[in-house]
Amino acid sequence: MAKARLIGDRTNKMMVQAMERRAADVRGRVFQITLLVTLLISLFILGVLIVDVVVDAWGVLTGRPGGFLSGTMRSLSGDPKLGVQQALVGTFWIAVFVAVLAFPIGIGAAIWLEEYALKNRFTRFIELNIRNLAGVPSIVYGLLGLFLFVNSLGGLTGGKSIASAGITLAILVLPIVIITAQEAIRAVPQGLKEGAYGVGATKWTMIRSQVLPYAAPGIFTGTLLSMSRGIGEAAPLLLVGAVSGRLGSNPGFFDFSAINAEAFMAMPVIIVEWVQNSGRDPGFAEAAAAAIVVLLVFVILINAAAIFLRNHFEKKRG
Amino acid sequence: MKLRKLLVLIIGPIATFALVAAACGNDDDGDATPDTAGQADAGDTGDAGDTGDSGDTGDTGDDGGQQASVQEAPAGSVSGSVTISGSSTVEPISVRVAELFEDVQPDVSVTVDGPGTGDGFKLFCEGETDISDASRQIKSSEAEVCAENGIDFVELRVAIDGIAVMTGENNPVECVTFNDVYGLVGPESTGFGSWSDAGSLGLATSDLPDVDLDIYGPGEESGTFDSFIEIVLEDIADERGQDAITRPDYNANADDNVIIQGIQSSDTSFGWVGFAFAAHASGVKLLDVDGGGGCVSANADTIASGEYPVSRSLYIYVNKANADANPALVAYVDYYMSDDGLGTAVSEVGYVNLTDDAKGATRANWAGR
Repeated sequence: MAKARLIGDRTNKMMVQAMERRAADVRGRVFQITLLVTLLISLFILGVLIVDVVVDAWGVLTGRPGGFLSGTMRSLSGDPKLGVQQALVGTFWIAVFVAVLAFPIGIGAAIWLEEYALKNRFTRFIELNIRNLAGVPSIVYGLLGLFLFVNSLGGLTGGKSIASAGITLAILVLPIVIITAQEAIRAVPQGLKEGAYGVGATKWTMIRSQVLPYAAPGIFTGTLLSMSRGIGEAAPLLLVGAVSGRLGSNPGFFDFSAINAEAFMAMPVIIVEWVQNSGRDPGFAEAAAAAIVVLLVFVILINAAAIFLRNHFEKKRG
Repeated sequence: MKLRKLLVLIIGPIATFALVAAACGNDDDGDATPDTAGQADAGDTGDAGDTGDSGDTGDTGDDGGQQASVQEAPAGSVSGSVTISGSSTVEPISVRVAELFEDVQPDVSVTVDGPGTGDGFKLFCEGETDISDASRQIKSSEAEVCAENGIDFVELRVAIDGIAVMTGENNPVECVTFNDVYGLVGPESTGFGSWSDAGSLGLATSDLPDVDLDIYGPGEESGTFDSFIEIVLEDIADERGQDAITRPDYNANADDNVIIQGIQSSDTSFGWVGFAFAAHASGVKLLDVDGGGGCVSANADTIASGEYPVSRSLYIYVNKANADANPALVAYVDYYMSDDGLGTAVSEVGYVNLTDDAKGATRANWAGR
């Protein structure tokens, strides 16, 4: 009672103040401006980075875009055959592995944890560990990939292959996929579920017809963002055996024999390699910038897919 | 039904992008379509004369000058694959040789990786690679592992790389002796913060100024680190009963660009990197080095002649049994030994050619394997 009156008093006082003084809300304005400044700072840093990279890359990207996309790893930056096709193929297939492995497994695990699992100490322990796994440094996943997929299961994956790298990165993003999907599923209003039960739906029907469609936009945003993170990783790929100097073959995008071939390249790794080469041959700085732009475009396309999917499902939900 | 739609929605944009990329690629090459299986594609990129790539290579015309000891296989007659790993310093040479070789034998697929000399020997002695690139000679411990696994190899010296000793461009110091370097970065210099501290060890040093000392160099995993210790520090350390190591308290980095940036950042810095990297750097001063015979500046001539005291040889190690079994490997190393390899490729990627006598010795090693 006393508390309620207190709140009532305070509200009353504020309203009186607001009506008496038309003066500007100084604190509010300051707060608003601070928020705007933080936004501008992050946008500014991003803008500087992008402008810097694009300016460096401009010569290569406008001079010979086709040649750069279809070219291979070379030792001299002036080589007209220098390009990123081998690395782009590697990164493309790694992305496919992540999509095919991490998404169904991650979303499935999230549904189980949210809808089926009992809320007891055991599931809390599992969830805690998933959260910890999301914070494990990526190099640790690289070690896991080296021991498990390259050495122990080498017969299956082809050793230091795209398959090993793809599975390793799928496991790397799995905890993030589970956590984001869980959040999305948790946000489904209880009323929707109860409504479904009310008209006699089984648990499975309820999940399929109510939970998944409602949670889909959130799930897709989270999962595809986690994929963008995964394909930008260089450290685990170096351990799993991405080649830095030269790859004998130049497979096409749909050349399936390349998936478990003994050697592969990936975009983040050649960016590292070219930046290092730029000390010996300064022209590689431009090539590295151009490779960064290509990887950025690749990631932006994936994010565009995420936005498209989200809008698609939001429309359906509405 | 719904699930399939989802998959199409996910894969669709990615696949579209891939198609666009592949299509763009085709404009240039004409025949880079992914129609052939596996490594056969390597040939496409190597088609002679599809683009004007001979502009900077200058590889034509050397063919007549190849020495008789190398038996060249007829062009295009060999196929197979060669796996190379090892030093990231030597990596560009092996890659450049492979690129030139591609025009001669387009069906040989050469893969080159550069994790470091030590990591390279680990793989080599397990029989994983055909050739190991090395920026130093194989250590006895590594050779023992090779012997245990029955790996017999031949060592071929392919090029010379100087190690540039550098400081900021405004530093008045022009020349350092080995004693100076020992006093600055040797095992007994731990904690020294000024150039003039180098004189406090009782060694005969130059007259170094009393200014701040900031040291940047490669870390322990690097062949450049090992070579630098072996050439400059080891003898003095032995004489003084010290371990042949550097002081631990300096800025170590695996990336040569970072080291150079560090040296640029201070007028009184001190550091060392491979000459191929230092030659392009601005804002740094390459110090002359006195190895006992007076101050010598670092350039391609003094490094090749051996006058510049801080230089090292670069090697490749070839697995003999693999060479007997794999004609592609023999053809590649044959080509490495030609003037296109030891001459053109080495200088194109910024390293210093061996003298003619030394090239002859390397070729004799290979011929007599």
